[in-house]
Amino acid sequence: MDVAAERIDRLEELARAATIDGDDERAKYYVQLARRIAERNRLEFPRSFERFTCDRCDAYLRPGDNARVRLQNGHVVISCDCGAHARYPYDE
Amino acid sequence: MPVRKAISTANKQLMTLTPETLPRHELNGLPVRVVESTDASRVGLEGRVVIETTNTLSVEIREGGDTRVVTVPKSGSVFEFAITDDAADAAKASGTTSKLADTQPDSSTADESDRAGDDIASCRGDGPTDHRHAAGENVAYVTVDGSRLLSRPARRTETNGDSPWQ
Ligand SMILES: [Zn+2]
Repeated sequence: MDVAAERIDRLEELARAATIDGDDERAKYYVQLARRIAERNRLEFPRSFERFTCDRCDAYLRPGDNARVRLQNGHVVISCDCGAHARYPYDE
Repeated sequence: MPVRKAISTANKQLMTLTPETLPRHELNGLPVRVVESTDASRVGLEGRVVIETTNTLSVEIREGGDTRVVTVPKSGSVFEFAITDDAADAAKASGTTSKLADTQPDSSTADESDRAGDDIASCRGDGPTDHRHAAGENVAYVTVDGSRLLSRPARRTETNGDSPWQ
């Protein structure tokens, strides 16, 4: 694993920790930095990071804390406190 | 469509944060100490990097129950980072960034054991100065001149190294 990919992994942990601490601004900074590293190095976000960040406001999402997760026929809807929704399918 | 490199989880055990790669690696979250600074009041500051900008590192310092964040310019400062084999795992386990400061080893009590010699030999000469104290917990202390870190945080990974995009 190269340095860029590992930086993204570490930033995911830092963003999660900052959100648990209630420091949402700092969490957004970590998410934005991770996104920038990913695009500059042409890396995909790990799926766990992709799914638990908000595309609109870059918040790190923790279900029950700053995100709602609901199931609707065949897909998951995850809603950020900022009002953005993301949908993805699931298999039964 | 660009070629996409999938991030492999199989290789997760391979730790790429080493004294040689540290100037290109993520600094946020690392325990750090300011060992030299043009501003004498900053010397000895010890904490965890929480924010990096092009020209500064912000260090969160715990004093008693309180934390404060001090912004230190990269140029004119020399930093000593502590890296452990399982730095990432420690972050996972403890959950919060502020608790991480507790796990920071006390550099003043780290003994310089003979095992350090093997590790230094494997380092490139042009890398950062590397003081490895094999203190039983696999902690490596890496001293880096702040001027080597002057870069946009997201670009540091490419600028010093083996990027194909130069
Ligand atoms: Zn949002």
